[in-house]
Amino acid sequence: MIEQYTITTTPKYNFPQPTPETTLPQRFIELSINSLRQVRTTAFQYNQTFHQNDCSIDCPTQMQLKRQPLLLSPRHQETPVAAVDTSTMKIGETTTGIIVAIRGATVARQNHNYHYTRMGPIIFHITEENKNAVYGNLERDYFNGQYSKSYNSGPTLMQMPTRLACLLEHWLQAQMAETVSGGILLFDGSLISGTMDAPVHRIRRILSTARTNRNTVLAFSKATSLRTNGYLITDLLPEAEAPYLLETIGLRFKPPMVPLGDVYVARLQKGNIAFRLDIDCEIPYQNKLEAVERLIANDVTQQGYPETLRLAHILCTFTANEVLAMQHFIARRHGIQIVNRPDMHRLLFGPFGRESYA
Amino acid sequence: MKLYRKEGNIVQILSFPNENAEKGDYLMVEDTDAAKALIVQIIDVQFAAVPGVLEELLRTLPDSGELIRGEDIDPLEIAPHITYIQDASLLVCKIRATLENGLLTPSSSWLPSRSQSLIKKVSIPALMSLAKVDGRLPIILGGTKDSSLLTIDATDLDGTLNIITGKKGCGKSHLSKLLMASLVGYKATVVIFDLNGEYGSIGMTQDGRRNLYYDKIYALTPSQNFKVALNQLHLNVVLGILVNALHLPGTSAREFKRIWKQLKDQGKLTLTDLHETIKNCNCNQHVRDALASRCFSLVNSGFFTDNLAEAVLLEENLLKAKDNGGALVINLKNTGNIDRQIVVEYVLGKLVDSLQNWKLKAVFLFAEEAHLYLRETYWDDIVTRMRHFGIFTTFITNQPDTVQETIYRQADNIFLFNFTNEHDLDVVSRAARVDAETVRSIARDLPPYHCLTLGRVVRDFPMVTKVRSLDLKTMGETRLFFTGQR
Repeated sequence: MIEQYTITTTPKYNFPQPTPETTLPQRFIELSINSLRQVRTTAFQYNQTFHQNDCSIDCPTQMQLKRQPLLLSPRHQETPVAAVDTSTMKIGETTTGIIVAIRGATVARQNHNYHYTRMGPIIFHITEENKNAVYGNLERDYFNGQYSKSYNSGPTLMQMPTRLACLLEHWLQAQMAETVSGGILLFDGSLISGTMDAPVHRIRRILSTARTNRNTVLAFSKATSLRTNGYLITDLLPEAEAPYLLETIGLRFKPPMVPLGDVYVARLQKGNIAFRLDIDCEIPYQNKLEAVERLIANDVTQQGYPETLRLAHILCTFTANEVLAMQHFIARRHGIQIVNRPDMHRLLFGPFGRESYA
Repeated sequence: MKLYRKEGNIVQILSFPNENAEKGDYLMVEDTDAAKALIVQIIDVQFAAVPGVLEELLRTLPDSGELIRGEDIDPLEIAPHITYIQDASLLVCKIRATLENGLLTPSSSWLPSRSQSLIKKVSIPALMSLAKVDGRLPIILGGTKDSSLLTIDATDLDGTLNIITGKKGCGKSHLSKLLMASLVGYKATVVIFDLNGEYGSIGMTQDGRRNLYYDKIYALTPSQNFKVALNQLHLNVVLGILVNALHLPGTSAREFKRIWKQLKDQGKLTLTDLHETIKNCNCNQHVRDALASRCFSLVNSGFFTDNLAEAVLLEENLLKAKDNGGALVINLKNTGNIDRQIVVEYVLGKLVDSLQNWKLKAVFLFAEEAHLYLRETYWDDIVTRMRHFGIFTTFITNQPDTVQETIYRQADNIFLFNFTNEHDLDVVSRAARVDAETVRSIARDLPPYHCLTLGRVVRDFPMVTKVRSLDLKTMGETRLFFTGQR
């Protein structure tokens, strides 16, 4: 049986309407609450510094950059633009583990207005004991159990914030690929798969679903480590009128990494700001260029970065105020005793102690 | 609430939205280990500098400046906690005293524990009890924010210099009537220079019936029911009028003294004889002219009379007021500028005379907009010299810069109503018993009829009060053209 999504046709767009599948995944909430129950009566150490992760992977390889730019002109064809981003943060430590918060945001541009859906924060207490169960359950429930079997060992405690955020991000991407049709889906990061955070099957399925619904996936990386002749690919910009793309050739990744997108350098505005852009490699060449042209026409691309994706990033990012609120929530709602464990770097080296990251 | 910072005598306290602390409230920062507590007053409420608030606000705005619409799915309900943190406020407080062993001392030299201190609100009655404002002769000023009454002691107005100030229409005269009526109720002698003719009907209730002050109010209107005969006057009083009110030069004053003694010896101290004697005086032409013009002013004022039946003995009224308490209301409403000064000089001269001779014990003098009838040198005279004779003055003004700085410095009590003008607040903050931050911060936000009381009556714990209403017939309301159409 093919799952049927409730989609109401509008004169202009075909945007998804809320369905049970697009509401916040219940399993995330259940696991979050269960994990937090375990932390009760456990001493809790606030992080002295906070580090936010977003799911991005990069891998320098041997490659060439075509010097001839592929010039683009805005294609004024009404096209839905939607973007997904997630953020994670370790907000404290307990004697047995860490407290992690994740949040995801999807932003859609419609009638020149932006509409967002923000999910979270969802807070987990991750310990050595429950980490495999939490991660395994989520992966099994949302991306079928078979994928979790691909890895011999689960993530380490320190990898868990990123892993959980990636799970949520991929779930949001999958939902978006299912519910948007004929649109442009903007992902944060690259389309490299085969890593622990981005299993090939999972990404492939998201891209496949998107193609089925006539969507084009464009993944923008804010930073890249891809170099050619020793230079970052985003620094080698020819003297041509923006917007344009630069094509890469000979890009190879070491196994198990599998690129599921063709890599371009996108310079969408005047100025020397360009981004690495991965476009679903299964899309015909001409459609790839058309998708970018439709993006330019349908979204604001100030500073060469799509506003929809920028908003998704901004909306999911945790502010210091929210971190305080989450700590307040944990202390009040779950009665966690607050302790001040000294920062050893600060203690030993004073002002010369580096900041301790999660 | 949590103690955040202390700098000098300023303490900053972090407060959360449900704690409802407001400007003017008193807090006790209690350090149980040190067995001491700081009594502090909130002088400003600010947003706490919570990190990330700016980002929080900014991210709801896209580049075009319009709000982004959307929904937040917040399964753990953390949003209220975010709001709670965002709305945290920083209470800037002034240290008023240290409480140790039940005694208050004006010290701020110790530092309470930041982590262990307990911070709680102190009610006005509790604070007044600690400050030992016991109210043997209580005057209820009005209600405080915590629904308690602020009661001062009438004895704390004894021997003091008081200032009631605030902008127009905020209730200064109302408070002065309250103080005056309360003092009369305690059998005090009160003299009021009533510039706008609004105190004369204090003996009546709002609906026109007599009240308990009716028999104690002596309303005197110069040239009408208040006239004096020259032979009732002492030379010093007349010379005071001539020199201070009518600016008679010294040489002419000497000649006048001679003429006065001559007429007194002859038993002819009348306006007619005085005029005749000056006209025929064998002296310098300029002196004669000067004396003649002053004599003409005295006659023109209508305040002096040769008819003894018309003359009122001020002393008699003062003595009546002395026995059972009473108020002499000198109505200056329809009196010209010079005549006003003549009357005031006369009244003050007679008061000093009566006090010097111990005919009176002490007098509470209420002077509205005193700059309109008091010569400059008199200010110091009133607050220094006359205080020793027993004249305890309360100045009432809506122009604080018309009261000399020396007066503010010596003021024992200040009843401050709303001011928005920085300049006015600067002037008031020169008072010795006031700190500038308190005045600037609290007085600016006072609603009408709310008064910030500072000084001895509140043991230097500034208190905000809504002045209680009085069942007295008020005459000080501004006459309006559009009455009834508002």
